[in-house]
Amino acid sequence: MARRSASARLTARPSRLIRRPAATAIAATLALLASACAEQAPSGEPAAEPVKGGTLVVAISEDPELLNPAVTTSGAAHTASELLYNGLVGLNAQGEPQPELAESWQVDDDGARYTFQLRDDVTWHDGEPFTSNDVKFAFEEVLLKYHSRTQASLGEALAAIETPDEHTVVFTFDQPYGSLLQQLDVTEAPIVAKHVYQGGDPLEHPANTKPIGTGPFTLERYQPDAEIRFAANENYFKEDLPYLDTVVMRVIPDDANQVVALESGEVQWLWGVPGPDLERLRADGRFEFLETGVNPGGTNCIMTVTFNLDRPIFTDVDTRRAIAHALDRQQYLDRVQFGQGKVAEAPISSGISFAHAENLDDMPVHDPARAEQLLDAAGWVREGDGTRVANGVDGVKDGTPLAFDFLHYPNFADYGELFRAQLRAIGAEVELRPLESTVFVEKVFTERDFDTNVISYCNGTDPEIGVKRMYLSSNIGPVPFSNAAGYRNPEVDRLFDEARTTIGDDERKAAYQRLQEAIVADLPYVWLVETTSTRVFPKRCGGFSHSGHFAEAAYCGTS
Amino acid sequence: MSWGYAVRRIAQLIPTVAAILLASFLLIHLAPGDPVLALAGEHGDAEYYEFMRDKFGLDQPLHEQLLTYAGNVLTADFGVSYVRGRPVLDVVLERLPATLLLTGAALLLSTVAGLLAGVFTATRRSRVPDLTVSGVLLTLYAAPVFWLGQLAILALALGAGWFPVQGMSTAGSDATGLANAADVAHHLALPAIVLASQEIAAVGRLTRVGLRDELDSDHVRMARAKGLAEATVVVKYGLRRALAPVVTVIGGRVGHLVAGAVIVEVVFGWPGLGRLLVTSTQSRDVPIVLGIFLLVAVTVVVANVITDLCYAWLDPRVRYR
Amino acid sequence: MSATADVPFEPAAPGVGRRRGVLRGVLGTPSGLLGAALTGTLVVVAVFAPALAPYDPFAIDGPVLHPPSVAHPLGTDALGRDLYSGVLYGTRTSLVVAGTVGVLVLLIGALVGAVSGYAGRWADDVLMRLTEAFQVLPRFFLAIVVIAFFGPGIDRLVLVLGFTSWPMLARVVRAEVLSLKQREFIAAAKAHGASNVRVVVREILPNALPAAIALLGLVLAQVILIEASLGFIGLGDPNAMSWGYLANEAQRFLRVAWWLPLFPGLAILLAVLGLNLLGDALTDILGGRR
Repeated sequence: MARRSASARLTARPSRLIRRPAATAIAATLALLASACAEQAPSGEPAAEPVKGGTLVVAISEDPELLNPAVTTSGAAHTASELLYNGLVGLNAQGEPQPELAESWQVDDDGARYTFQLRDDVTWHDGEPFTSNDVKFAFEEVLLKYHSRTQASLGEALAAIETPDEHTVVFTFDQPYGSLLQQLDVTEAPIVAKHVYQGGDPLEHPANTKPIGTGPFTLERYQPDAEIRFAANENYFKEDLPYLDTVVMRVIPDDANQVVALESGEVQWLWGVPGPDLERLRADGRFEFLETGVNPGGTNCIMTVTFNLDRPIFTDVDTRRAIAHALDRQQYLDRVQFGQGKVAEAPISSGISFAHAENLDDMPVHDPARAEQLLDAAGWVREGDGTRVANGVDGVKDGTPLAFDFLHYPNFADYGELFRAQLRAIGAEVELRPLESTVFVEKVFTERDFDTNVISYCNGTDPEIGVKRMYLSSNIGPVPFSNAAGYRNPEVDRLFDEARTTIGDDERKAAYQRLQEAIVADLPYVWLVETTSTRVFPKRCGGFSHSGHFAEAAYCGTS
Repeated sequence: MSWGYAVRRIAQLIPTVAAILLASFLLIHLAPGDPVLALAGEHGDAEYYEFMRDKFGLDQPLHEQLLTYAGNVLTADFGVSYVRGRPVLDVVLERLPATLLLTGAALLLSTVAGLLAGVFTATRRSRVPDLTVSGVLLTLYAAPVFWLGQLAILALALGAGWFPVQGMSTAGSDATGLANAADVAHHLALPAIVLASQEIAAVGRLTRVGLRDELDSDHVRMARAKGLAEATVVVKYGLRRALAPVVTVIGGRVGHLVAGAVIVEVVFGWPGLGRLLVTSTQSRDVPIVLGIFLLVAVTVVVANVITDLCYAWLDPRVRYR
Repeated sequence: MSATADVPFEPAAPGVGRRRGVLRGVLGTPSGLLGAALTGTLVVVAVFAPALAPYDPFAIDGPVLHPPSVAHPLGTDALGRDLYSGVLYGTRTSLVVAGTVGVLVLLIGALVGAVSGYAGRWADDVLMRLTEAFQVLPRFFLAIVVIAFFGPGIDRLVLVLGFTSWPMLARVVRAEVLSLKQREFIAAAKAHGASNVRVVVREILPNALPAAIALLGLVLAQVILIEASLGFIGLGDPNAMSWGYLANEAQRFLRVAWWLPLFPGLAILLAVLGLNLLGDALTDILGGRR
C-alpha cells in the first residue's frame, strides 16, 4: 500500500532565488566509485560481501506499460525503467547530488547558470557514444514536453540549454534557480538518446518497449503483465558495476502473494510489505529490512485529506476543524499503515527537519465531543443519531444533510473506510468514490468535482518542491497534484516567499513555523500520517539503495 | 443434419452480432457527456479528440456513425488504449495466449471429469457414492469461483505446498523447452481445476440425467438381456446417445467459462485478458473494455452456433426451431 | 446463463389444481426442503439484518484481524470491523439486487413470452430471434462495460442484469402459452367474447407464470453469483456492504486470516445452493423443464 503512495507526484514550482547556497555543491568532482559505495548499505552493516554474478528477482505490482521514464511520472513505469537510464547526477540517501553522466559541474551567477562537464566514456546500449546533444535533445524534445514534474518545475524557468562542445552542457535561467541539482537524477530527468527518439512521437515510439539507455542494465525481454528481464550492461561506465548478471521484475499484483513469493525464495526484493505480514517476516530471521520515505514517485509523503474549499459546506473553518477533530489519526497509523510511519504533526514532513514545525497548538487532535460542539455552533443540527442537517449555515440551504463524497485511489480504500466510520460518529455521512489515478486526477484537478479526497502528497526534500504547490493561490488546477483544496490566502503566499529568502537556519525555521501556523489556522487540509514503506530482501543480498538505481550496486551471495 | 439447417443457423449469426454492436454503440452514446470522451478517455488532448471524432465519424448523423462504428469494429480496429497509448488489438493479443491456455485446459478438464462424474453417478443410483458425488457437484455448481480459488490456495498451495500460489511460471527461471512447459503446467494446474469446477458440475449433472434416461430405455434393456458386459452397455448404448445434449452444454457454457477466467486470473495472478479487463475498467480505459467485450461476445455467439451444428449432427432428430 | 444450448425443453402439461400441492411437494423432498429452508433463512436474515447484527458492519472499533471469538463470532478484518455483521448486511445487498432483478426479469420475460406465444407468426419469429440474441449476450462482461462507462453502483447493475436475464423465462412462458392456447377453457373464454388482452392476462398468464417463477430461482442464483463476482474484482459499490466486497478484502489477507475468505464465500454458496435447490424442486412440480 505504501508502495503506491509513490503515485502522488511532485510538481515543483520554479523557485526564483537560491534559498540554500550551501546546499548547491559547487564544482564537485568526486571519486565515482567512492560515492557509489557511500550510498549503499543504508541499513547498517552490509549483509554480505559484494559478489559478482547472479540473478535478482524483484516483485512489482503492476505492468509498467512502457519503459521510458522520460515521458511519464508513473510510479510503475519508473520502477521498471530507471535501471536502464541515467540522470546527469545521482542523489544519495541524504538527497545530495553525486556525479553520474556529469562528472562535475559549476554553478555561477548565484544559481542562474549551471555548467556540466559530461563523462566522455559513456555509450548507449547500442554502442553509440553519449554526447551533450543527447542531453539537449532529451530536455527540449522529451522531458520538458512529457515529464510532468520537470515540465512544471523547469518549463517556465529555464532560459536555454547550450552545448559548447560534445561534453559540456550549460543550463541558463532568467533568475537564480536553486534546486536544479535535486531535479536531475534518473527519476526527475532521465536522459534518452537523440539518435533513437529523433523524428518520432516519443509517446508512441517503439523504443518505449525496446529501450536504449546508458544505465547499468539493458533490457533482455519484456512480457507484458508477466515479467521483465534485464541483463547487466557490460560496458557500464561505472567500473565493476553492476554486480548482478540479471535482474528480473515479476508482476505480482497481490501484496499478499508477493510475500508468499519472497518466503518461498522465488523473489528477493519487495518494494513494500503489507502491514499484517511485517511482524511475521521480522520474526522469520532470514530477511533484512530497509524502512524508507523514499519511493520511485516521491519522498517524505504525507497522507492528506483535502477539503474542496469551493464547496459551500466547507466554507466555514469551524466545520473543517470539526471534521479534523473527529479523525483519530493514530488509527490510520495502526490499522492501515500497521505502524509504518508516524502521525503527522505539521503540514511539512518531519523528514524536512529544517522546515518542519514543532508544537503547533492549533493542530487538531482527536476530540469527537469538541467536533460535535463545533458543528452544533456552525448550524449543523442533529436529530437523534442520524445525519446532521443545515439549519442556518451560511451559503447552505436549510435542510441540506451534512453528506459529502470522498475520492480515493482504490488502494487507499482503507483510509476511506476509516474516514467514513469516524465521521459517521459525529453525524456526517461520507460516500466513498474509488477512482484509478488517471480518472482521479481528472476529477480533482481539472474538473474540481469532489467534496473531499485523500492524496499522498510527497513533500520531497525541500518545501519548494513538494509543499508549496499545495498552498499557493496561483497553483489551483489543472496541474496534477497542485493545490487540490483550492486554497487562497495571500498571507500564506507571502510567507512562502519570505521563508524561501530568509537566511540563517534559526530564522528560516521560524519563518516556516509562522507559515505552518497560518496554514493550520485555516485547515484547507488535514494531515493524517507520514508514511514510510519497508523494503525486504534476504540476508544474503545487499548493496541496495532506496530508489532509482536501487539495484545498481546490489548483489546476492549464495546460501 | 441438413445443409439448410446449417445455413440458416449460420445466417442467424448476423442479427445477433448486429444486436451486440448496437448495444455497445448505444452505451457509448448513453454515457454521460460527449461520446468522444467515452471513446477517447477524459484526458486526451484536443488533437487526439479530433482524430477520434473523425475516426468514428462523430460529426455525422447517428445512423452513419453506427455504420462507421460497425466498420471499425468488424475490421478489429478498436482504437487506441488511452492509458497505454497503444492499439487495443495489440494489447489484447499480447494477453490472449495466456487466457486461451487457461480456458482451453479448463474446457478439456471439465469435459473429461464431468463425463466421468456423470457416468459414475448414473450407474450407481441411490447408493452412498452417488449421493456423495451428486452433493459435491451440487456444491461446486453453487460455489463462487473466487471462493474455490481462495480455498484452493489456502489448502493446496499455502497449506500442502503442492502448487505455486500465483503466476504462470516461476519468477526468474530461465528454463526452456520441456522444463519450461513443465513449470507452466505446474502453475496452470490449480487455476485450471478451479475454473473447471463449475463446468464439471454442469456437465456431470447433465450426463447423469441423460444417461439415466438412456439406461432405462428399451434398447439398453435389450442389450443387457443379451448378456453384454455392463461397461459395454453403458458406453456403447447409453453414453453415445446421452452425449448429444452434453455437447451443447459444453459449447453453451463458453461464456461462463470466459467470465470465470476473469475471476480466476485475478485470484491466481494469471497474466491474461481478465486482469487487463479489470484494471482497464477501474481506470475507465473504455477502448480496451469495449474491445474485450466485443471479442468475448462474438466468440460466445460463434461457439453457440458451432455447438448447435454439432448437436444437429449428433442427433439428426433436431429440427430448426 | 449465456447458453442457448440449454437442454431444449418440452412444455409440460399444466396440471389443474397443481398449485395446491406445491408446498407439500417442495417440502416433501429432502433437497426441496433444504432449498426452501436456505432461501427462507436468506430472506429473514436480509429483512432483520439490523436487529441480528451485533455491530454496524462499517464500524471500526474491534481488535484488528482477530480470529472468531465470542465477541466476534466470525472474526474481524484488518480495520477491526466485525465480519459477522458484514456477512449479515451483505445478505441484504445480495437480496436487494436479486429481488429487483427478479421483478424486472419476470415482467420482461412474461411480456415477451406471452406476446410471442399468443400472437405467433412474425411477432413470434422476431421476438424469438431477439430472445436468442439476448441469451448469448455475455452478461458478466456487459455489466463490466456498463461499470466502465458509468462507474460502479447498484442501480445500474440491477438494470443491466434485469434487461439481460429474461430470455430463459420468456422461452418457458412462451412454451406454456403455446400449450395453453389449445385448451378448452381458453376457447370457452374466447367464445364468451373476451378480448385477446383479457384472455392473456386473466386466463393464460396465471397458468403460465408458475413455471416461470420456478425458473426464476435458478436465474437469481446466477444473478447473486455475478453480483458477488463483480464485487470480488473490485467493481462493486463501495458504499454497500456486500459479500463480494468482503471476499475482495479477504484476498489481501489470505495468508494471515483464513476466516476472511471462508465465511463470505460460504454465505454465497448457501444462498446460491438454496435458490438452485428450491428452483429445481419447483420446476419438477410446476413443469417447464429446463
